[in-house]
Amino acid sequence: MGHITLSNVTKQFGAVEVIPPLDLHIEDGEFVVFVGPSGCGKTTLLRLIAGLEDVTSGSVAIDGTDITGVAAAQRGLAMVFQSYALYPHMPVRDNIGFPLRMAGLDKAEIARKVEAVAETLNLTGHLDARPGQMSGGQRQRVAIGRAIVREPKAFLFDEPLSNLDAALRVNMRLEISELHQRLKTTAIYVTHDQVEAMTMATKIVVLRSGIIEQVGSPMELYNQPRNLFVAGFIGSPKMNFVTGETAAQHGAATIGVRPEHIALSKDAGDWKGRVGIVEHLGSDTFLHVTVPGAGPLTVRVAGEMAVRFGDTVFLTPDANKIHRFDAADNAMSRRP
Amino acid sequence: MKPDAKPALFGRIPILGRFGLWIWRNPLIAPALLVVIVVTQAPFILTVIYSLFRWNLQRPENTAFNGFGNYLDIFRDSRFLDSVVTSLSFTVAAVLLSLLVGLVYALLVHDRFFGRGIVRTLLITPFLIMPIIGALAWKYTVLSPIFGILNWIVRQFGGTPIDWIGMYPVASVVAVLVWRWAPFMMIIILAGLQALNDDQREAARMDGAGPWAETRFIVLPHLKKYLQLSGLLGSIFIVNEFDVIFMLTQGGPGTATTNVPFLIYQSVFYSFDIGHAAAMAVVIVLGTIVVVTYLLKLLGSLMGDLD
Amino acid sequence: MAFWNRRPAAARGIERASRLRTVLAWGVALFVSFPFLYLATSGLKTEVEAPKMPPAFVPVPEFLNGIPFTYTPTLQNYRLILAGDFMPYFVNSAMATLVSTLIVLLLAIPAAYALTLPQTTSKRNVLFFLISTRFLPVVGVIIPIFLATRFVGLLDNVLALIILYTAMNLPIAVWMMRSFFQDLPADVLDAGRMDGAGTFHELTLIALPMVKNGVLATAFLAIIFAWNEFLLALTLTTTRAATVPLYMISFMSAQGLWYAKMSAAGTLVALPVVILGWFGQKWLVRGLSMGAVK
Ligand SMILES: Nc1ncnc2c1ncn2[C@@H]1O[C@H](COP(=O)(O)OP(=O)(O)OP(=O)(O)O)[C@@H](O)[C@H]1O
Ligand SMILES: [Mg+2]
Repeated sequence: MGHITLSNVTKQFGAVEVIPPLDLHIEDGEFVVFVGPSGCGKTTLLRLIAGLEDVTSGSVAIDGTDITGVAAAQRGLAMVFQSYALYPHMPVRDNIGFPLRMAGLDKAEIARKVEAVAETLNLTGHLDARPGQMSGGQRQRVAIGRAIVREPKAFLFDEPLSNLDAALRVNMRLEISELHQRLKTTAIYVTHDQVEAMTMATKIVVLRSGIIEQVGSPMELYNQPRNLFVAGFIGSPKMNFVTGETAAQHGAATIGVRPEHIALSKDAGDWKGRVGIVEHLGSDTFLHVTVPGAGPLTVRVAGEMAVRFGDTVFLTPDANKIHRFDAADNAMSRRP
Repeated sequence: MKPDAKPALFGRIPILGRFGLWIWRNPLIAPALLVVIVVTQAPFILTVIYSLFRWNLQRPENTAFNGFGNYLDIFRDSRFLDSVVTSLSFTVAAVLLSLLVGLVYALLVHDRFFGRGIVRTLLITPFLIMPIIGALAWKYTVLSPIFGILNWIVRQFGGTPIDWIGMYPVASVVAVLVWRWAPFMMIIILAGLQALNDDQREAARMDGAGPWAETRFIVLPHLKKYLQLSGLLGSIFIVNEFDVIFMLTQGGPGTATTNVPFLIYQSVFYSFDIGHAAAMAVVIVLGTIVVVTYLLKLLGSLMGDLD
Repeated sequence: MAFWNRRPAAARGIERASRLRTVLAWGVALFVSFPFLYLATSGLKTEVEAPKMPPAFVPVPEFLNGIPFTYTPTLQNYRLILAGDFMPYFVNSAMATLVSTLIVLLLAIPAAYALTLPQTTSKRNVLFFLISTRFLPVVGVIIPIFLATRFVGLLDNVLALIILYTAMNLPIAVWMMRSFFQDLPADVLDAGRMDGAGTFHELTLIALPMVKNGVLATAFLAIIFAWNEFLLALTLTTTRAATVPLYMISFMSAQGLWYAKMSAAGTLVALPVVILGWFGQKWLVRGLSMGAVK
C-alpha cells in the first residue's frame, strides 16, 4: 500500500514561488527518482510530501486519503536525510527504535523489531555504538534502519548517498535497490547522480524550476526526451547539440546526438573535425572534437583509442538516433 | 455558537485580546513572559505613577497628586543635574576607555603564545569578581593612602603619599570601571577576531601589508560591529553602575561621584522621598531607552531573519 | 627559538605572537591582576603582616622568613571567618542563586525552544521585549519592588531575591538557549518530527540532550549574575536573608579595618563564581552578547 497523488500543489517561500501548480501520481511500489538542477525544488517537493513543509495550495493524498493538513508523523512516511540526521546522543539501538517508541510500542516489541532490522542491515554488532563512533556508510545504514523499522507506506530519500565516498556509494546503491526489491515499498528518491537515477528508478521525474519537464522510465527518458532540457539532463556525458546549418539539414532548429551514438573514423565520415582533449577511462575514451559548422562535440568510443590532440578525424552520427528539436526546444518526431 | 464567535476568554478586549490569545497559543513561552512582565514591567508602570505624586514615606499624610511637579523639581535641583552629568561622564569615559583597553587586551591575547590560556583567564577575572569586592580590592590594595601599592611606589621615588580617592574621585571610579569592563569588551572583541579567518590576514600579508596596515585595514573594519555591540552593552550597564560607587566612594567626596542610580538610592533609602526618586528613575529609564533602541537594532541585524 | 615555538607551522588556527607581544601580554595580565591577587595574598597573612610595606607576594615556608617580598601563609583568617557568622550569608546566597537559576532554566528552555519553531508567531517581538526588560535600569523599578516586597511581607526573605533574580536572568537565558537551539542541525529535528515526536518529545528527547553544554553555559551565567548581585540584596534584605555581598558590608562596618581578615573574607565571597567563570570562559561571550556572538 502506498500510492501518492499530488494535485495542483504549489509552494511559496514568502513571495517566491518555488513550486508552480504541480500534479504527480506515484503508484504503489514504484521507485521514483527526482532529478533536476540544484535549486529546482526537489527537496522542497519531498518535504511537502513528508509534511515537513506546508503546501501553499493544492492537496497531497496517500492511498486516496487527503493528508494535506496532517502532521508529518501521522502520514506514515519515513525519511532518510543526506546528513543522516541521527540522534547523536542515542546509541544505534535507540536511534532505530525511536519511531516505535514514539508510536507507543512496548519495550519487548521494540527490541525485537530493532534486532530484526539490525540483522538485515548488518548492524547487529553495532547496536550499542553511538552514531559519532560509526563510519559514514554505517550511519546511513542506521538511518535506513530507522526508516524501515516502522514499516512505512513510503520511503523518502533526499540525496542519501551524496556524503559517501564513491566505492561505498555503489555498495549502498545496490543495498537500497535490493531492499526495495524485497520490501516492495514505494520510494521517492532525490539525487544528483545520473547513475543512481538510471539504475535505481522505475520512474524518473525531471524537474526544472519546480516544473515537471518529463516523467517516465529511465529508458523512455533516455530514448525519447520530450525536450532539449531533458535530453541534456539525462545521459552522461551530456548529449551533443548542434544548431544552424547542420540542424536545418535535418529540418530542425537543433539536433542532438549522444556521444555514444557517433561513430569515429580516421578516414571518412559525415563531419570532419580536429581532436581536442582526449580522456582515457580505460573502458571508454571520451574525445572532444571541434567540427567546423557544428561546434565542439563529445564522442564516446568503447575501449582504448589511439588518437592524440590535434589529429584530424571523421565523425558519423547514427542516423536512427538523432534527436530533433524545434525552435521552442520541444522534441520533434524521429526522421521517418 | 456563531461562526465568527471569538474565543470566549480573551476575545473581548481588542489589544489585550490579541495578546491573551497569543499567550494562550504559546504555552511554552507564556510563563517566562508573564514572570518578566509581572516582575519588571508592572513595577515600572508603578514607578511612573509614583513619579506623579508628592510622596514621602516619613510624611505619608502629605501624599498628594502632583502632576509633573516632581519632574519640574528635579530639573531645578542641582544635585540631580550634577548626577546626570556625573553619570554621563562616567559612562562616556569608562566605555571609551574600556573599549580601547579591551581592544588592546584582545589584540594581545588573540594569537597563540606561551601561557595564553592563563593570561586570558587573568584578564577576564576582573569582570567575574563581585563588583563590590573588586572595588574593595582597589580601595585597599591600590588606592589606599596607607596600604596602597600606588603610594608605596610614590614613596620609593621620594614623593608624598596622596589620598587618591579623595583627590581624584572621578578618575578613581573610572579606573575601577575600566578595570572591570575592559575584560567584557575583550571577550566580545576576541570572538570577533576569531570570526575573522586567518586566510584574510594572510592574504593581506602576501599583498605586502605590515602588522599596522593589517590591523588598520583588515582587522579593525571587521571588528566594527563587535565594537558597536560591546560599546552599547557596556553603556547600558555602566550608566546604571551602583556597586562600585557604593563601595569605593559612597558618592563622595561631597557629591563628586554621585551618579543618578546612587542619587535615587539615597533619595529612597535616606530621604524616603518616593515621588522625586521615581521621577529620576523614569528619566534614567527614558535615557537608557535611546541606547537600548540602537542596541536592539544592532542585535537584530546580527541575528538575521526571524518569523 | 624557544621550545614552545617548535610546533609545526602547519598547525593551523590562529598564528603565533611575537616574543615581544608575549612579554607584553604577560605584563599587562599581571598588572591587571594585582588588585585581586594581592587581596587573595593578604588573606593568607597575619593581621600584623598584612598592611606592611613593601608588599610581600611570595608565600614561603616559615624557615625562610625575612627574605624581601615574601611572607609565611596562614589559614587562620579563614578559620576565624568560617567559625563566625559567614555561613548563614553563604547559605542565603547559595539558595537565592541556585534556586533562581533552576527556575530560570525551567522557564527559559521551553520558551527558547518555542522561539525557534516555525509556527510560533511574533518571535521577534517577544525576543526584543524580553531583552529590553533586562536593559531596564534596576533603579527604575526598585521603588515599587521595595514597597511591594514590604507590602507582602517578603522583606528580608530569600524568596524575594529568588523571584527577582529569576526575572533578572530570564531574558538572557532565553536568548542564550535560543541561540543554542538554533545551532542544532535542522535535519535531526525534522527526523524527530517524521518519527512521530511531538513538540514535547522533540524538546525533551532530541533537542535538549543535544544542547547540554548550552544549558550548562546558561546556568553558569545566571549563577554568576545572581551571586554577584548587590543592589537588590542591599535594599530587600537586612539580616535573615542577607547574601554574601552584605556579609562583606556588615563585616567591614562591624569589625573595622582588619586588613587580613577583610581580604580573606573578600576572597571567599568572590571566589566561587570566579572559579565558575574560569571554567565557563568559552561560553561567556555567548551569554554576554545575548547569543548574538558565538
Ligand atoms: N525555507 C526556505 N525559505 C526560502 N526559500 C527556500 C527555502 N527552502 C528552499 N528555498 C528555495 O527554494 C528553491 C528550491 O530549493 P530546494 O532545496 O527544494 O532545491 P533542490 O532541488 O533540493 O536543490 P539541491 O539539488 O541543491 O538540493 C531554492 O531556490 C531555495 O533557495
Ligand atoms: Mg536538495
